Amino acid sequence: LSEGQVFRAGDLLYEGKAKRVHLMEDPDLVWVEYKDDATAFDGKKRGTIRDKGYFCAQVSVIFFRLLEESGVRTHFVAAAGERAVVCRRLAILPIEVVVRNVVAGSLAKRTGLPEGTALPAAVVELYYKNDELGDPLLNDEHVAALRLATPAQVAELKRTALRVNGVLRAFLSPRGLNLIDFKLEFGLHQGTVLLGDEISPDTCRFWDAKTHEKLDKDRFRRDLGGVEDAYAEVLRRVSSGPVAGAQGAAVGAPGADAGAAGGSRRWLARVFVSLKRTVLDPQGRAVLGALEALGYGGGGGGDAGAGGAGAGVGGDRSAVRPDRVRVDDARVGKYMELSLSAASEDEARARVDDMCRRLLANPVIEEYRFELERAQ
Amino acid sequence: MSGGRMKFAVVVFPGSNCDHDALHAVGEVLGQEASFVWHQDTDLARYDAIILPGGFSYGDYLRTGAIARFSPVMAAVEREAGRGKLVIGICNGFQILLEAGLLPGAMRRNDSLRFQCHHVYLRVENAGTAFTNRCRAGQALRVPIAHAEGNYHAEPADLARMNRKGLVIFRYATPAGEVTPEANANGSAENIAGVMNEAGNVLGLMPHPERAMEGLLGGDDGRLVFESMLAAWKEGKARVQVSPA
Repeated sequence: LSEGQVFRAGDLLYEGKAKRVHLMEDPDLVWVEYKDDATAFDGKKRGTIRDKGYFCAQVSVIFFRLLEESGVRTHFVAAAGERAVVCRRLAILPIEVVVRNVVAGSLAKRTGLPEGTALPAAVVELYYKNDELGDPLLNDEHVAALRLATPAQVAELKRTALRVNGVLRAFLSPRGLNLIDFKLEFGLHQGTVLLGDEISPDTCRFWDAKTHEKLDKDRFRRDLGGVEDAYAEVLRRVSSGPVAGAQGAAVGAPGADAGAAGGSRRWLARVFVSLKRTVLDPQGRAVLGALEALGYGGGGGGDAGAGGAGAGVGGDRSAVRPDRVRVDDARVGKYMELSLSAASEDEARARVDDMCRRLLANPVIEEYRFELERAQ
Repeated sequence: MSGGRMKFAVVVFPGSNCDHDALHAVGEVLGQEASFVWHQDTDLARYDAIILPGGFSYGDYLRTGAIARFSPVMAAVEREAGRGKLVIGICNGFQILLEAGLLPGAMRRNDSLRFQCHHVYLRVENAGTAFTNRCRAGQALRVPIAHAEGNYHAEPADLARMNRKGLVIFRYATPAGEVTPEANANGSAENIAGVMNEAGNVLGLMPHPERAMEGLLGGDDGRLVFESMLAAWKEGKARVQVSPA
């Protein structure tokens, strides 16, 4: 399975509002073709946006590759021509995960906050994917009550969504685009939660960082005109490199603290680098072996024969109770602390992300994450 | 006559320790022109080939080759590689080429977790390159290794592409040239010991051909690599000379 491999679309499996999904010879894969059809307000408004399928497919491919490189596990396999993508076939969870950095759309209606208000921290929302009910907002307890996902899965969805937010914002900010909000869908693949669907101007709100011009589906929803141009502009920016000074006045990014313009703040970044799950970790394996010697081996029986394995190792380990805790895997990574100055949290995040990609982690074999906090 | 000697640059990073061996190999043994180039140098235009030697550049801090890759000289290496000059990265030099993205893949700790220092046999997978034209395809070269991080990893897509295009140049093998799991010195994917770029002018390998140049020192199979580079250079020159101005 790789890019460069020749794929062929098979029978139509399903046709949705914006995409056609075809079966493929490999039952694990689907061929997703992006259409020019556009709908809004739960299908009440319909239209066609010329070449939308092309723009959305291309933008989505760029974002999914970026996310994969950043260690987010997705359904993406390969681009397949101008308007199609080959993906792993997922059992889609009926939950839409929305991340918001700035107030817009339904959040403005629900809260009364004016559009464009920066949120102090990114807000994650869950919606029930159900056309008949009009995709209602859910909280975690609703999700549990409806058995749409386990609490552990919900936690993972939220964590991944925030991670996607960080990666996309760091990528978009130097390209002069503010990420206002976006919607994600997830699905299960062999028991693992993978990011699915698309990430494009159809599923995100992008505003130009300087002019705050809307460059997304709101142009269609609100009949603002220039829809095709806006989609083309997003593709142009995400296909090109970062532009110096493109960040603009940072409307709205949480933590941007526009009041502190020109001022520099101190930040502490804690960076964690580890080998990708798919890469064998010889050091981790050695550590696991040593833990097994301590009586923490995986695969041992429950607490029957208590003390057997552990006590035999010798020495006084009575307080450890190794028989009750089993280690199934060990991975060895790196931890780094960076002290830096930056005008805003956004700026600091974007820079640390850049440092991670270009130096601190090797994207071929490693993944990274970092935590950022204000320092004294 | 070919006219003139081939000019080799041997790049010296803080922590390089096979730079003198490399200089001796091409300067003394092959009788070509060889000079040390400091990692701060920014112009390598006058050299015909560049050697990134083994060692522990910048103490292997962060990841092997990760810091050296940002030395000023690496921009020049990249530029000359783009112009088609021959570039060979040996051991730490290979690690630096990987970090610089001039070759695909990355290095992990040896699967044994031990520093491996002994002779190995390398099967020549492609004898039609600027680095192996003096070898026979399938020939087993006896060359030493000395590294802790030579466990080569590449994405399946990259491996498939490299295999398809003949870019895997050396694999760890038995003395008879058979590629077996037992012969794999460090756990590398598909026993890979050396790979080349698509343009065919950049080679990286973990083993040390520059330490196998003279029978007196335990073997001279490594000469074939440098003699191949010399032959490729001479042939390139000949081609340039016969083409109309």
